[in-house]
Amino acid sequence: MDRRSFLAATAAGAAALGVPTVLRAQNREPIRVGFPLPLTGPFSALANDLQRGATLAVEEVNARGGVLGRRMEVLFRDDQLKPAVGAQRTKELIENEKVQFVVGGLAAHVQMAINEQTKKSRVLFVSVSQSDEISARPDTSPLTFHEALNPTITCRAVGSWVAQNLGTKWWIVYADYAWGKQCNAVLTDVLAKHGGTLLGATPYPLGNAEFVAHLPKIQAAKPDVLLSATPGADNIAFLKQVMSFGMKKQMRIAQPLQWMPVTKEGGPDLYAGVYAGINFYWEVEETIPSARRYVAAFRQRFGTPPLDYSSYGYSGILELARGVELAKSTDSDAVANALRAHPVYDHYKGKQWWRGCDNKSFQDLWIVRGREPDKVRGEWGLLDVVNRVPADERLDRSCAEKGLA
Amino acid sequence: MTARFASRIGTHPVLAFLLFFAMFPFLVPYKALATQVLIYGLFAVGFNLLYGYTGLLSFGHAAYFGLGAYGAGIALAKLGVGSVWGGLGLGLGAAATGGALIGFLCLRRRGIYFAMLTLAFAQLLYFVVFHLADLTGGDDGLRGIPQLPARLPFLALSLESSLAFYYFALALVGLAVVGLRRVLDSPFGAVLQAIRENGDRAVACGYDINRVRLLSFVFSAALAGLAGALEALRLTVIPIESLYWTTSGQVVMMTLLGGAGTFFGPFVGAATYLVLEDRLSVLTESWPLVIGTIFMAFVLFLPKGIWGTLTGGIHGR
Repeated sequence: MDRRSFLAATAAGAAALGVPTVLRAQNREPIRVGFPLPLTGPFSALANDLQRGATLAVEEVNARGGVLGRRMEVLFRDDQLKPAVGAQRTKELIENEKVQFVVGGLAAHVQMAINEQTKKSRVLFVSVSQSDEISARPDTSPLTFHEALNPTITCRAVGSWVAQNLGTKWWIVYADYAWGKQCNAVLTDVLAKHGGTLLGATPYPLGNAEFVAHLPKIQAAKPDVLLSATPGADNIAFLKQVMSFGMKKQMRIAQPLQWMPVTKEGGPDLYAGVYAGINFYWEVEETIPSARRYVAAFRQRFGTPPLDYSSYGYSGILELARGVELAKSTDSDAVANALRAHPVYDHYKGKQWWRGCDNKSFQDLWIVRGREPDKVRGEWGLLDVVNRVPADERLDRSCAEKGLA
Repeated sequence: MTARFASRIGTHPVLAFLLFFAMFPFLVPYKALATQVLIYGLFAVGFNLLYGYTGLLSFGHAAYFGLGAYGAGIALAKLGVGSVWGGLGLGLGAAATGGALIGFLCLRRRGIYFAMLTLAFAQLLYFVVFHLADLTGGDDGLRGIPQLPARLPFLALSLESSLAFYYFALALVGLAVVGLRRVLDSPFGAVLQAIRENGDRAVACGYDINRVRLLSFVFSAALAGLAGALEALRLTVIPIESLYWTTSGQVVMMTLLGGAGTFFGPFVGAATYLVLEDRLSVLTESWPLVIGTIFMAFVLFLPKGIWGTLTGGIHGR
């Protein structure tokens, strides 16, 4: 199904759900939201997931009559995972399509390029993927909101849990780029605070997942835990090589960030017993009411449970709608002030809130462990939830540390 | 008919260029796209000077585009240079200096070895900039470039609106095009084309072709650098990709699509490529397939490119 027929079907579905309210909403200009995301390139699977979450959110908003009696419309654009294209797309959305807000971006460098354009045009931007800089000086602005987790929070949360539960003799393998380097620095710091020993750290060039030369050295050092910050397809290559050296039996493996589409692609043989941090895992619906509602709606719409990025997209759009509702206006400054004045929300996984000084969203995350192949439930029941890490502002850098005090 | 029309444009190329691009922002879907076409067109013009007129295939032109961009960006964002002109000048200077150094080394080899050397130097520069994250922003790109007004003796021109920036860029690109036209019309330009057609014969005529090639390389790098510096001002962020080999590949594609060795070809190529990319990617995720097919069709059936075919292959005129 191409995007046009998909959108047409979506609109028809929304109309069938709430004819009277929708008719009223149609009388006025729609509220337009621009959404750049990497539909082509190495992150396209994650981008498709992100797009589904945003689509569900906008359908729900319109089904209940829109925002301020106006329909909401999301315009997706392919940023090719390239900052220059992301920037150009954002300019196009603001200038040509006259979008009032921008949500989106997947990968730190593209977010930052989008953010430069929204700042210049004084348009509110809700960023939905990991980055430390986006909520710190000099990148952030009163109109830049960060819905996703960031490397500091993720790696502090997972690192502390690992140090307390799996052991304090570590070896870290990380991809040598912004996210990997930040995570390595945070993990090293966390380990020192827990009085642990860092036996070694191995950086490798992102996208060049060749570890065979390093693994015997790591094996000989006998760490309790091998921490891996190896994103995307590198992660599968890394775990395959680790497994072929028999290291999964010799040490625990923990990953601050693991992506559901990658976990599924690698398969349960590879991921069984691997510990990881994750921003959302659909089985938490068993304990959280908003997650139950969200997962059910998502399943009904797309036939599969929501994954990690769909949830960011879903929450980002709903938060924007809430902000417009609160501000009774589509003025970016008014919406930003309204969100800061009423910072608490819960769209899909329990309580979240905006910190006023840096527009950063604080939220729970989970520690999960890969299920053994015979315990896997259906297509996406790949993980056991081991622990919930409650939202805590102390997990992030303080606003003073971010240059915002 | 079209050929006659096109060759008439050929007799007043600079005037035709200025007239067309003065109206251009109103012919494309939005102004920022027009500016992008102008900037990448200039980049392709720089590449074309070396490839189309001098016959040297550089596969590392991203280096000079990137040097121009980072030169201007670092000057404005990190060194506190308080004027647009200072930033542009430093970007242009960085690109020309880089071009002189890299050109001096690469021009010792010919053909595929020359192409590979230019690529290798560009990639080298990419990794240097990647790792100097404190100065360049590393893989997050350089941010925080202020949007300053362009100060002239009697007025300060705000560049905040897309249209104002477009005409600011057009003035500079226009100057560059006038300069290039002068160079190509000079005896030096004739020597360039003589080298392209037959280097040995040019030597036999008594020309120091190594010096001429190096000069052409430096001019080419300076034009690419000016394009890069303008792009830095336009986006106020410099992605690390601007130095990556894919950027070099893009400019080769644009030039071949428009017509290498023709005066307008690079602009036609840049406009075709960017407008197609812009419109197609809204409709389908498979847009690279369409552009790739069009590109292959041109290389196979119309190797002179769009403008080259229209003008019946009149080189440079």
